[in-house]
Amino acid sequence: MNLFVKLKTGLLSFVSFMSFSSFSCCLLCCAGCAGPQLTDGADEHVATVGSVEVTAKLVDIPGEFPPNDLYDYAYVLKYEVQTTHRGQAAGAILVGQYNPLKPRNEAADKRAEDIGGNVTEFRVGDVHRLALEVPIDEYCMAGIINKYAGQTDAPIYWAVWTNKVVQ
Amino acid sequence: MKIPVHSFMLACALLSIAPSIVADEKTDALSSEVAAKGWLIYSARSDNGTWDLFLSRPDGSAARNLTNTADYEEAAPRFSPDAAQILYRRLTKGETINHDQWGFSGQLLIAKPDGTDARTVGEEGEYPWASWMPGGKQVVCLEKKGIKIVELATGTVTKQMPRNGIYQQLFVSPDGKWFCGTGNVKGAAWNVVRMYAETGEVNPVHEFQSCTPDWFPDSQRLIYSSRPEQKNNGGYGCTQLWINVGDGSMPEFIYGDESFHIYGGKVSPDGNYVLFTKCPKDGGGSEQNGAPMYVMRLADVPSIGGDSPELRALHPNTKDGPILELAMGWEPDWTSTELGIEK
Repeated sequence: MNLFVKLKTGLLSFVSFMSFSSFSCCLLCCAGCAGPQLTDGADEHVATVGSVEVTAKLVDIPGEFPPNDLYDYAYVLKYEVQTTHRGQAAGAILVGQYNPLKPRNEAADKRAEDIGGNVTEFRVGDVHRLALEVPIDEYCMAGIINKYAGQTDAPIYWAVWTNKVVQ
Repeated sequence: MKIPVHSFMLACALLSIAPSIVADEKTDALSSEVAAKGWLIYSARSDNGTWDLFLSRPDGSAARNLTNTADYEEAAPRFSPDAAQILYRRLTKGETINHDQWGFSGQLLIAKPDGTDARTVGEEGEYPWASWMPGGKQVVCLEKKGIKIVELATGTVTKQMPRNGIYQQLFVSPDGKWFCGTGNVKGAAWNVVRMYAETGEVNPVHEFQSCTPDWFPDSQRLIYSSRPEQKNNGGYGCTQLWINVGDGSMPEFIYGDESFHIYGGKVSPDGNYVLFTKCPKDGGGSEQNGAPMYVMRLADVPSIGGDSPELRALHPNTKDGPILELAMGWEPDWTSTELGIEK
């Protein structure tokens, strides 16, 4: 096989590969167009830990989360309860999330050994399935940053497990 | 008159070293002053690579490794009020000593002050933040569900009360009437607070970015670290040493250096000196190798180290007294008791 044939064969192989790759990419993109898989966030953890279980929409993150590299803290967020699965909770509730800059499956430590979930970041508008304890002071062994202090006497919940809900 | 060049240069050299000679003399005088004032105990990384417990005189002399265990990390020793015992935490080898979570870590151990007769009390993670109660027969612990006082001989819980927002670094006053700790106040974390032991009532001592409190021998004042809002270090600021009375009405800056973070504040048993650590990294250095420990006179406060222009502008009355550098360490404690240990 002379050099010309080699080049031609190589070029054809390359074109074929690119065509297949493009086709595969299109397929993947189309799958992506269908959006993430719907989930109600239920699993064996969220259904069993804590004394309260709700599906709730994250409606407010007051301010910015401080860095998490040196100091631990719980940050109080505002949720709107959509469904109460266990215990008592309704309407707008305040929930303390421990070290919220960390994915929930990496946030547990000696202060908060039992927390977890599959939420990787906190964004206003997201819906979470939460297992909660209340009041936060009896469960959270860390500094609590509560920008709503003085605005309400409502109890603050402690997020034990936080799973993502896709509706 | 013509001054020979070499004479001029010699004079300049002598003038430039004169302040350091004076400083050395002042530091030497401080060293002599504290040398016989009891003993220090502290944790430090030893030659075997792990954290061990060390004992030394307050001038750093007669230092010795008390534990020398290559298979464990030992940290946060505290003398009992009569210095007949020490308590500390023992972590598994290689476990990082987190500067804020150490009280939850490892096992509680009690030993003689020379490190002998060490015995574990409870299991891993039990007796969190244990510290001595007056009398040395009980410890007070800080748990999620509250403050617990435990009889060491029997393990009996003699008192339980809500912790009311305190979440770490709980210590009882020498008279047993008060607790201090780091706690939540009005929606803000990181405040030094005081709790009246009889009622559980809590008052802030220093709000905003304050922690690691400890008591003066008089049970009325506290020493602690605080990082007020500052422009230095890119706006992060430096952690400084402060004192205050228990109701928080008389905050007083006592030492700072814009190149360092000051932690581990401990007042000498006679109330005349203060022990602390200076670490270039915030947190006190327990995650690495600790930081140099220092002793200074409380008569010399406020004092400022280094150039520290912002601090010097804020505290123009600085006395810049001598500070005596000791070994590398973390969370030191001080007793005036003679331990019967040979030099």
